[in-house]
Amino acid sequence: MAEFLQAAIIGISLGAQYALLALGFTLIFGILGVVNFSHGGFYMLGGYVAYSCVAGLGLPYPLAVIVAVLATAALGWVFELFLLERLVDDHLATLMLTLGLYLVISTGLLTIFGPLSMEFAFPVTGALHLGSIYVPRENLIVLVVCLAAIAALWLVLFRTDLGRGLRALANDRAVAMAQGLRPKLLFPLAFAIATGLAGLTGALVTPILSLSPGVGDPVLATSFLTVILGGLGSLEGAALAAFVVGIVEAFTSVYFGGSIGALVLFVLVLLLLAFRPTGLMGRTVRGA
Amino acid sequence: MKCRLFAAALCALPVLPVATTAFAQNCELKIGAMGPMSGGAAQWGLAMNSAAELAAAEANQEGGVKMGGKTCKVTVVPYDSKYTADGAAAGSNALAAQDIHLIIGPVGSPEATGIKPVAARNEQVAWNAAYAKNALEPKFPLMFHIAPGPAAWADAVIKRAKQVFPMKSVALIAPNDQGGTDIASVDAEAYKANGITTTEEYYQRGTTNFAPIVTRILAARPDVVDTASSPPGDAGVIVKQLRLAGFTGAIGRLGGPGTDEIIRVSGGLDVLKDFYWFETIPTGDPKVQAIDDEYKKLLGKDPVGGTAVWADLPAARMTLKAVSIAGTDDAKAVAAALRTLPVEDPNIGKGYWGGKKQFGIAQELQFPFGIGIIKDGKNLGVERQEPKPE
Amino acid sequence: MRKQIRLLGWTELVALLLLATGFVVPMYTRSVLVYSVLNQIFVGVIAAESVWIMLRMNLLSFATPAFMAIGGYTVAIAGQHDITDAFAMTAAAFILPALVAIPLGALVLRLRGTYFVLVTFVLSQIMQLLLFETPGLTGGSNGIAGVPPVTLLGTEMGSNRLVLQFACGLAILATLITGLLTRWFRQHFAAIEENEILAESLGLVVWRYKAMGFVVAAGIAGLAGYSLVNMLLTAHPSSFDSSTAVDFIAYTIIGGRLSILGPVLGTGALVYATNLFGTHGQYAQGLYGVLILVVVLAARGGIVGTIAAVWRRVS
Repeated sequence: MAEFLQAAIIGISLGAQYALLALGFTLIFGILGVVNFSHGGFYMLGGYVAYSCVAGLGLPYPLAVIVAVLATAALGWVFELFLLERLVDDHLATLMLTLGLYLVISTGLLTIFGPLSMEFAFPVTGALHLGSIYVPRENLIVLVVCLAAIAALWLVLFRTDLGRGLRALANDRAVAMAQGLRPKLLFPLAFAIATGLAGLTGALVTPILSLSPGVGDPVLATSFLTVILGGLGSLEGAALAAFVVGIVEAFTSVYFGGSIGALVLFVLVLLLLAFRPTGLMGRTVRGA
Repeated sequence: MKCRLFAAALCALPVLPVATTAFAQNCELKIGAMGPMSGGAAQWGLAMNSAAELAAAEANQEGGVKMGGKTCKVTVVPYDSKYTADGAAAGSNALAAQDIHLIIGPVGSPEATGIKPVAARNEQVAWNAAYAKNALEPKFPLMFHIAPGPAAWADAVIKRAKQVFPMKSVALIAPNDQGGTDIASVDAEAYKANGITTTEEYYQRGTTNFAPIVTRILAARPDVVDTASSPPGDAGVIVKQLRLAGFTGAIGRLGGPGTDEIIRVSGGLDVLKDFYWFETIPTGDPKVQAIDDEYKKLLGKDPVGGTAVWADLPAARMTLKAVSIAGTDDAKAVAAALRTLPVEDPNIGKGYWGGKKQFGIAQELQFPFGIGIIKDGKNLGVERQEPKPE
Repeated sequence: MRKQIRLLGWTELVALLLLATGFVVPMYTRSVLVYSVLNQIFVGVIAAESVWIMLRMNLLSFATPAFMAIGGYTVAIAGQHDITDAFAMTAAAFILPALVAIPLGALVLRLRGTYFVLVTFVLSQIMQLLLFETPGLTGGSNGIAGVPPVTLLGTEMGSNRLVLQFACGLAILATLITGLLTRWFRQHFAAIEENEILAESLGLVVWRYKAMGFVVAAGIAGLAGYSLVNMLLTAHPSSFDSSTAVDFIAYTIIGGRLSILGPVLGTGALVYATNLFGTHGQYAQGLYGVLILVVVLAARGGIVGTIAAVWRRVS
């Protein structure tokens, strides 16, 4: 029983981490129609910027996280405005551009910081123990930030003019543009919000796990899995699916081991999509 | 305009290698350094490169390597073989195309598998550092092995660890690919031979959060958890999460180097608490540590790759020594000269040629190695272990 | 059909001609690098053509490594039992993945767009794990080493030159099959690519052509796996990692999706670049990334698209 509860707790904390990643990924896909292969790059970048602020400039950790968010958002904004924007309607070209950017980011980080993991610790450590069950304090913080980020994103998208504009562009770009919405202004902004979210996740999660060039590789696969399971472009779906993936991963790994656990997770996703071809909450389908 | 830029970029590509060879000296000895130099295992490949660079710089400081009356300047050509069989095979060919017959590397088991037949066809000496069960084979006599796998040292480490940390059961954890399974399974046999029950747990490479696997391992209540050949970054997270889950037993590491990194990632010695590990070479020895200073002096920068550089260095040095004995960089001649060389390194000490028992071919460097122990959060250092001749 | 369909167009012929030059190259040079790069190109071209077939129907597939693994391991396992006949192995490497693709296609072809992308991505992840979890059959994480060279009409294709020429032959065969398929169903594929729902409502039995494309693409990928195993004499899980799918997709897109020349030229350019950049050690990946950025930004429609645009301007 203790093991069962423990698996559930781990699943939720995995879910929080995946949700933060998936929100940005699904935002970019939903609004721009771009499959962002560089998502893991912004995750790593967030981690390294936060690390540099703490270790190099001596900033307090929360401030470093904010700097990391701003820096990754700024880079995302610049990348969208100057490179991605030119080819934004060609899905294959944008896929290649984000892939190229990812390779450049990871090589840059490897060259600047070297291949070894950094000494970068989360300021809050330890766990709350309830009998034989434990909840790491740092995971609670990530969960709170994750819920806050979901709430903030929801408010922006559904309660502001900016959000209405973004959603209109996501629904039907042609009509939205005919009504005077300017994608040239809104697309870079949406991309910046999404990469900022990836940077936030990196700044929060890499000190809990580890920070080295290469930690961005699995991010893409996870975000991909989560977003599709949730239904493309659906924020609620992505958030829900993130927790489903987290919990399934936790239970299968605890009860079947890491290797078979991953196999079970993939087969479950395959079957689910076979029976619900647009994911848990997806509606529209875009061409790839 | 755009087109012209694109064309210019494309045209510039083939010029790059031409430009570097055009300015080369009359006599130049090129050696290859191969391994993963990008991605999660980048440090191992970059360490190979640093080791080869240092050996080359040392030789050049003496004026170069003597080859048939001429003294040749040594240069190192790196190749990123990406931890795959194909990458290493392509690398062997790419280096052969530059007339390179001597390769320091590759690193991983998949790479060793990929390079063996190709390097044999290209007539190249290659020094792999893989712990694969078939790292050497009698039918590939040009393949050498930088350091022995767990079959040679696991028993000694376990015997020493048992004295410090009494144990009856151990759980081994490693990635589910060849880099993990080939080591953890040999480690497990060594534990069993010492009367310790074992469980093996394999995770998918790319796993970042080990909390579920830690929960699974701890359900079996092992006395000790061994992180085997998990990459140091992964092992650091595993240690951190084991301690967070309330595990108080000792943690072992019968795998590759990287303890400094594990200490950094896990959150320090206080978190690590009780830890024992295998070091490819006695890293506690000041003479071994002096390698980094020498690198900095000769190359004006820090070596990349941590203590793995120290472990890879003797192979590079001995290769260049063998070239000067053979008077050529022809692979067969260099290999023959290597076999006659005593296993010796100015920084590390004396060792033996081994591998006859495990692989049927004695082309493995067996140098003194190290057993490190951290007890109650205090680093007791790395004890030097002399190898025994087979 | 209104008019007679030509079996092969000039683009296919040019592609075949380009590949065929690979057959004569070994007679003029003994350079290992030329051999090595050409051999990698021949493997890559086949894999990229598998991706390209699916792209003709507006489906981006990451499943290529999974089917390559089936083809490659089929040959490796047969080799362990001393079955090395080139014709039998070529047939097996094509047919087995194609057979596996039939039930899988029924499952995944209902998905469209990015959903299909992900499912194929999951398929190749599953294949990788299956290889690890079946050590008895596939050698598990160690793979199968020492696969014997193929025999063609009693001759063992053991030397570098024969291995290269055999790989060239496989690439030509794959290009022929791909060319015939995409020419024959040119209008059907184009209709699906343009607007699948419209095509269906106009009476085109869409699933039939999609299934056909998927199955043939799987068979072609199997040939790529065969060629790869034959080049390395090893079937290793790391050769069929899901991340390699990205490479094949890059070959196709950088080359240009307009015609079959795209995968051929794209593979040639990027494989050459990979080998060139490899000797720059830790900068290899970054240089490759910059190359992709530059080509995508400077050359719309890939290499083929740019050549076509230049041609139009000149004439």
